[in-house]
Amino acid sequence: MVNNLENQLEDFIIKNREPFYRLAYSYVKNVDDSLDVVQESIYKAFSSIDSLKDFGYIKIWFYRIVVNVSLDLLRKKKREIITDEDFLLANDTGTIDNYADIDLENALESLPEDYRSIIVLRFFEDLKLEEIAVILEKNISTVKTRLYKGLEMLRISMDD
Amino acid sequence: MDNRKLEQLKQEYIDIQIPEELEFVVRRSIIQGRKNMKKKNNIKKIKIVSGSIAASVALLIAGVNTSPVMAQNLSNLPVVGGIIKVLTFREYKVDENNYNADIKVPEIQGLENEELQNSLNEKYLNEGKELYDQFMEDIEDLEKDGEGGHLGIDNGYIVKTDTDKILSIGRYVVNTVGSSSTTFKYDTIDKEKQILITLPSLFKDGTYVDIISDNIKSQMKEQMKSDESILYWIEGDEEAIDPFEKISSEQSFYINDEGKLVISFDKYEVAPGSTGTPEFVIPTETISELLVGNEYIK
Repeated sequence: MVNNLENQLEDFIIKNREPFYRLAYSYVKNVDDSLDVVQESIYKAFSSIDSLKDFGYIKIWFYRIVVNVSLDLLRKKKREIITDEDFLLANDTGTIDNYADIDLENALESLPEDYRSIIVLRFFEDLKLEEIAVILEKNISTVKTRLYKGLEMLRISMDD
Repeated sequence: MDNRKLEQLKQEYIDIQIPEELEFVVRRSIIQGRKNMKKKNNIKKIKIVSGSIAASVALLIAGVNTSPVMAQNLSNLPVVGGIIKVLTFREYKVDENNYNADIKVPEIQGLENEELQNSLNEKYLNEGKELYDQFMEDIEDLEKDGEGGHLGIDNGYIVKTDTDKILSIGRYVVNTVGSSSTTFKYDTIDKEKQILITLPSLFKDGTYVDIISDNIKSQMKEQMKSDESILYWIEGDEEAIDPFEKISSEQSFYINDEGKLVISFDKYEVAPGSTGTPEFVIPTETISELLVGNEYIK
């Protein structure tokens, strides 16, 4: 029975590896770290498989692991990232790069973590608010509030 | 934010390139993950507790107001002819640089039904404690990220209604991160019978959810019609992501001093932030058929 759940988890992970990778990437923003997050999340999933009571919840359950692992990694890397940025700035040649709509992407990046997660999960992963509430361990009215606030903040920063 | 921008952001998300080695990494991790499982009983989790933040923040606990004099000083809110009172039981305050918290925990005194009184007071205390803990956690996260920023929380209570029959206490939480959000929760007590009144307990059956929701929707439409600056998210509004359909069976409510049922929503629950925390007085004739009696609602 338990073994069966392990096999189901394995199939589920293999099948959904690309959405998981994208979600991780939306947090950590580079290939190596995203692969690390995927790997770590898979380890965590198997070691905490007991907490998955019902296979029906596997999607939410796994998303939650990916989000938490991504946030952990971001926290650990924070100092290094700052150093990297200093390094890049110091070596900036001043040439202007052409990125389409970098402002729009930046606007999303500039939102607080939770607000960004909610927008990503709601609009890009098409999850329900209830599901997001479980993933982020927040109650539904908080999620709803932050979704609207996030959207409001996006509009404000883009209209400026 | 128009939908085109959202679509564009979504497209960027979809365009995130999948590296070739993903499949390999996934398969390898699954094998390793299953191996780790077998020996997981040998792995002990070590939790590192960081106490530096807690130590650096000035915390003031006003303490239990056992003395009536002190209680009066802290919160001058005696409620019912000196019998049933709502007092500030405890206050948490954080006031440091960009972090401000003011959390007031109310306490009901004077109910003869001690079981009810204790359960309400315990609930308030837990709510306050939870808010405080969450706030400290948020500060810690911010500090860890080294980003700084402003965090504020203001939590308190107001006595909405206090008649011979009814006591309605509202607790509010204003959360400030950039802009602010507000939530309201109410408890309504029958002072004579000394019982807690819940929304479902007022009605004969569950049909009140739809009837009240319909009434609120028509009130929303009317308000929007008469004043263009008012906006609610209701069905048919293309912009609304999650339009208001119906109230929850346990929706926040209180009974006002005219004996009317008032349904309350949190900020952002049914309308943009500029609308605040909307309240709708439900005309008694709309629900009179559904009420168990006319003891509370008139």
